Amino acid sequence: MAKRMVMLIFPETLVTEPVIYRLSRKFKIIPNVRRARVTEKVGELTLELEGEEEELAKGIAYLNGLGIKVQPAAGERG
Amino acid sequence: MVKVKGLKCRECSRPYPPAPLHVCEFCFGPLEVDYDYESLRGTLTRRSIEAGPPSIWRYRALLPIDGEPAVGVHCGMTPLVKARNLARALGMREVYVKNDTVNHPSFSFKDRVVAVAITRALEFDFTVVACASTGNLANSVAAHAAEGGLQSFVFMPADLEQGKVIGTLIYAPNLVAVEGNYDEVNRLCSEIADKYRWAFVNINIRPYYAEGSKTFGYEIAEQLGWRAPRHIVVPAAGGSLVTKIWKGLKEFERLGLLDGRCETRMHLAQAEGCGPIVTAIKENSEIVKPVKPKTIAKSLAIGNPADGYYAYKAVKASGGHGDHASDEEIVEGMKLLAGTEGIFSETAGGVTVAAAKRLIEQGRIPRDESLVLCITGNGLKTQEAVAPSLRVSLQIKPTLRSFDEAMASHGIEVSPKDPS
Repeated sequence: MAKRMVMLIFPETLVTEPVIYRLSRKFKIIPNVRRARVTEKVGELTLELEGEEEELAKGIAYLNGLGIKVQPAAGERG
Repeated sequence: MVKVKGLKCRECSRPYPPAPLHVCEFCFGPLEVDYDYESLRGTLTRRSIEAGPPSIWRYRALLPIDGEPAVGVHCGMTPLVKARNLARALGMREVYVKNDTVNHPSFSFKDRVVAVAITRALEFDFTVVACASTGNLANSVAAHAAEGGLQSFVFMPADLEQGKVIGTLIYAPNLVAVEGNYDEVNRLCSEIADKYRWAFVNINIRPYYAEGSKTFGYEIAEQLGWRAPRHIVVPAAGGSLVTKIWKGLKEFERLGLLDGRCETRMHLAQAEGCGPIVTAIKENSEIVKPVKPKTIAKSLAIGNPADGYYAYKAVKASGGHGDHASDEEIVEGMKLLAGTEGIFSETAGGVTVAAAKRLIEQGRIPRDESLVLCITGNGLKTQEAVAPSLRVSLQIKPTLRSFDEAMASHGIEVSPKDPS
């Protein structure tokens, strides 16, 4: 099983949707939320995803397809 | 003097030992060095700093190393130029340029962070240093690794400016050109950092590395006669520099080293083609939305800035603001700085000058208040950016007549030599 630390950035339209619940139902992925920030217009969720590499890749593609930006949790470091 | 207490999570404040760690295992927040300021109060004085070497190491008590600096002993104490001509051009009363185009040894502010990071890496007994880089960091890591006798690996996007590639290769590192953007380079390096026991200066050594940027702020204050300016404009890529300059000034205030209080407003400068932090500042949103970079300012082309949130917080806490600069404005900014002060900055400097100009025009930086512009890298590294807009003034045959004719045809007037 692989683990990934990711940050999800939700557009306004998806802030009220149970996206993480659906992710765990559709794919064999265990999400573990560590931190979140939500404003009126955007949501930011930092979490650990655990699963087989193939499932993780499919799950992340699913999130991207919904319009959620999936980034490494630590961001880009200059 | 025991001054480093350890590391602390910037999000949940959980403490960690002073080890090569960078992420909180609980909340995934970034770790930061935590100091025992009380032990420094009274022992760290203006006089003790002034008695130190003319380099960043005069502030060693506020840097996270245990022993002597191992590399970069001449880094820092770059000029703070009183920019009278630039001030006139911008319609300002008092402008200074903190000129890290001449930093030692690789001509950018990155020498500050790398000197600290590699010294710390040696204290942790690493034998290989590495980095993901947009260019300046690559130059600096390769140079300092050469000085320290360390093996180095530098990962860069394959499309970087030739000046930065050559300026890295000359120090004989293992340069890995990655066919991808900086985002992809960064992801790859995170995976490599997990696999090999290397000191990635901007990944697992990042808490120590980032502290080196505080010296940019310390020097500004000391060179202004132990006072903080009213405004500072800082360019941003990952967003760390502005947070550390702010932290440095607040530390000086806390330790009683400043005349008066630190009432500096920190302003951020980013390119229009990659300005996610400035966009967040303008929208008053503490969530920084990633972007795909498209700008000539490649040293600032970080679309998902690691310290974006903290940069936002520092700017807002100080009462500052931010603005973008178009590619055209960036080139004009570089030319303005060079043409008024004789300082050739890289594209990031053009971003800083152009954003400052906008902020002055908006009244966010009042014309009668003091302003410091942070110029972070040398223009000789990014000549491609300005080359198309520059041309030779006159081309002539090697005769006086040809010269006089060319002068006349271009309408250039000079005073003839005094016959007496």
